Amino acid sequence: MLFSEGLVMLGDGISHLMTLSNLFTIAWATLLGIIIGMLPGLTATMGVALLVTLTYNMPGDQAILSLICMYVGAIYGGSRSAILLNIPGTPASAATSLDGHPLAKKGLAGYAMGLATTSSAIGTVVGIFCLALLAPMLSELAFDFGSYEFFWLAAFGVVICGKLTSPTDALKGYISGILGLLVAMIGMESLQAYQRFTFDMPELSGGVGIIPAMVGAFGFAEILTVMRNRKDSQVITSKDRVIPRFIDIWRYRRTIFRSGIIGTLVGIIPGVGEDIGSWASYAAARRASKEKEKFGDGSYEGLTAAETGNSAVIPGAMIPVLTLAIPGSTSAAVLIAAMFIHDIQPGPTLMIQNPSFLYQVIAMLLFTTIAITAYGLSMSKLLIKVLSIPREKLMPIVYILCVVGPFAITQRMFDVYVMIFFGIAGFILRELKFPMAPIVLGIILGTLLDTNLRRGLMLTGGDPAPFFTRPISMVLCAVTFLAILLSIPLFRKMVASLFASIGLYRAPVKTADKPS
Amino acid sequence: MKNNSRLIVSDLFIGAVFLVLGLIVFYSAWNMPRLESRGVPGYAIPGLVPMILGAGLALCGFLLSLRSIRSGDLSAHFRSLEIPALFRSNEMRRLLTMLALALFYTLGLVGRLPFWIATALFTFAVIFIFEYFISDKQHGLARCVTLAAIEGVLVGIAITWIFQDGFLVRLP
Repeated sequence: MLFSEGLVMLGDGISHLMTLSNLFTIAWATLLGIIIGMLPGLTATMGVALLVTLTYNMPGDQAILSLICMYVGAIYGGSRSAILLNIPGTPASAATSLDGHPLAKKGLAGYAMGLATTSSAIGTVVGIFCLALLAPMLSELAFDFGSYEFFWLAAFGVVICGKLTSPTDALKGYISGILGLLVAMIGMESLQAYQRFTFDMPELSGGVGIIPAMVGAFGFAEILTVMRNRKDSQVITSKDRVIPRFIDIWRYRRTIFRSGIIGTLVGIIPGVGEDIGSWASYAAARRASKEKEKFGDGSYEGLTAAETGNSAVIPGAMIPVLTLAIPGSTSAAVLIAAMFIHDIQPGPTLMIQNPSFLYQVIAMLLFTTIAITAYGLSMSKLLIKVLSIPREKLMPIVYILCVVGPFAITQRMFDVYVMIFFGIAGFILRELKFPMAPIVLGIILGTLLDTNLRRGLMLTGGDPAPFFTRPISMVLCAVTFLAILLSIPLFRKMVASLFASIGLYRAPVKTADKPS
Repeated sequence: MKNNSRLIVSDLFIGAVFLVLGLIVFYSAWNMPRLESRGVPGYAIPGLVPMILGAGLALCGFLLSLRSIRSGDLSAHFRSLEIPALFRSNEMRRLLTMLALALFYTLGLVGRLPFWIATALFTFAVIFIFEYFISDKQHGLARCVTLAAIEGVLVGIAITWIFQDGFLVRLP
């Protein structure tokens, strides 16, 4: 696609959003997203999953717009409670609290929120630029993908997600991934129309709905956690200036650019979301900084890196969504489900069938970025009041939404029971330190993995060779197996000693990049 | 130490659960029809991927349990857990209360009562119980009941109205 064609479509995308109803949607959905992100216990994934069910009757493009606004707003909103309460509103803001809260304690809460706002906005813009650049290229590459590549892509996604979302215990990440894949096996499979694991329940013949499962795992499970750990936290109020000085942004331009790129790349990796993007950017900024000693004690640079990193993940996560129908984060997984509900088919054919949709998404992200900047810089002090809502008043309302949401799509109580099951199972698994993202990715990618493995074998009459010899398959297969092997301590030691023997590796020095 | 012990012990049990679950999945997948009469070759049978996943889950469960067993004196970890105290803790009380209320609302009230009444009752119960019985702060009974009742009715009516008339969503 020519650059000029892209620009024309972007212009069309922007003009498409310039209607009163779309602007109103951007205004309420972004504000709702910020509020949900601010409230500890309410995550971006939960917000997006609940909103899917409530926007079910809206026109498709308006529903997707509201979901993207919710997603961007919630990831940004999490920084508020991280700075003011030292409790990240969403996991994406955990790194933000390391420097944001010390700044607030020094009387710079307003300035920290302002810096978080501009960093989030710039991070999203860097990610949007990469999305516009990479998505068409990846989409063309994806046309060469056959069953073999799609099988490995699914396997690679689940394995990498399992490893990266549970860095200290990859085994639990892999178990989560397998559990997700097994959930996807429930219901009628597409090659021979055989019903697997339905236990003679007609409701299961269509499989387990991703939205009820997500509402349970990210909504109900979170409610149980919040109600159990009830704590009163002291909100720090802000009296200082909010709008950041240009010099502070310019001084850390390298950090901003680096964090934006890291965040985008993390977003592209299937299932690995904003929290990892934020930590990776923070760690890289600290390594490269001339002011390392300030990190953790109210560093502007640390705060900037964390917020740029987590926001850049969002457009990054949209790249595999739009080109391969593979989610780059858990919230993006819900977005895929929402796109299917609204008859939008993400994946390699999107750029042929509906090329303007990519540019509409870019325009939606741009408008949402403007909205979070406007809200963040103008309503900082007003939004703080949200943090004083007691959780025992808020959580029953959230639970009611968890019940209403799954019912709204299919009008059957069975999906509400699915929500409850996933909520309780999700809570237990979380307590036992199993990550949730690989489960979600497994549910989304299970059918892709199953169908393409068997279809690929049928195409070759049972010969598995193309799975290992086609160039892209070979790379994906090698990375997948390497990731698994590197999780085995003995293999890791062997690799480390091999690298040490040729002088390419030094034993790591313990750092405090990420608190345990 | 206590958290570490809890994880080591729970890993042992959950690993065993996954081992058994993996074997059950493998067995069920093995026994799925091979559909030979429809000309389906052995490498495309419906049970192929579930079999691989079942085996994978069993292996991972086994490794998790094995790792837990090899991580030291299991009986010492068991003793340091203080399971009865864990069940008497405030945290557990709050968790079980919320779970019971949520289940009672979903399985007992929704569908049997008009949605707004069920929702108002649930909201009232959560706010009242958490603010009066299991709250760290002392509140007066009359004040708690009155506020929770007002908030319950408001939430019941508002949610029903917003979703039914605003979002045009059918309610259970």
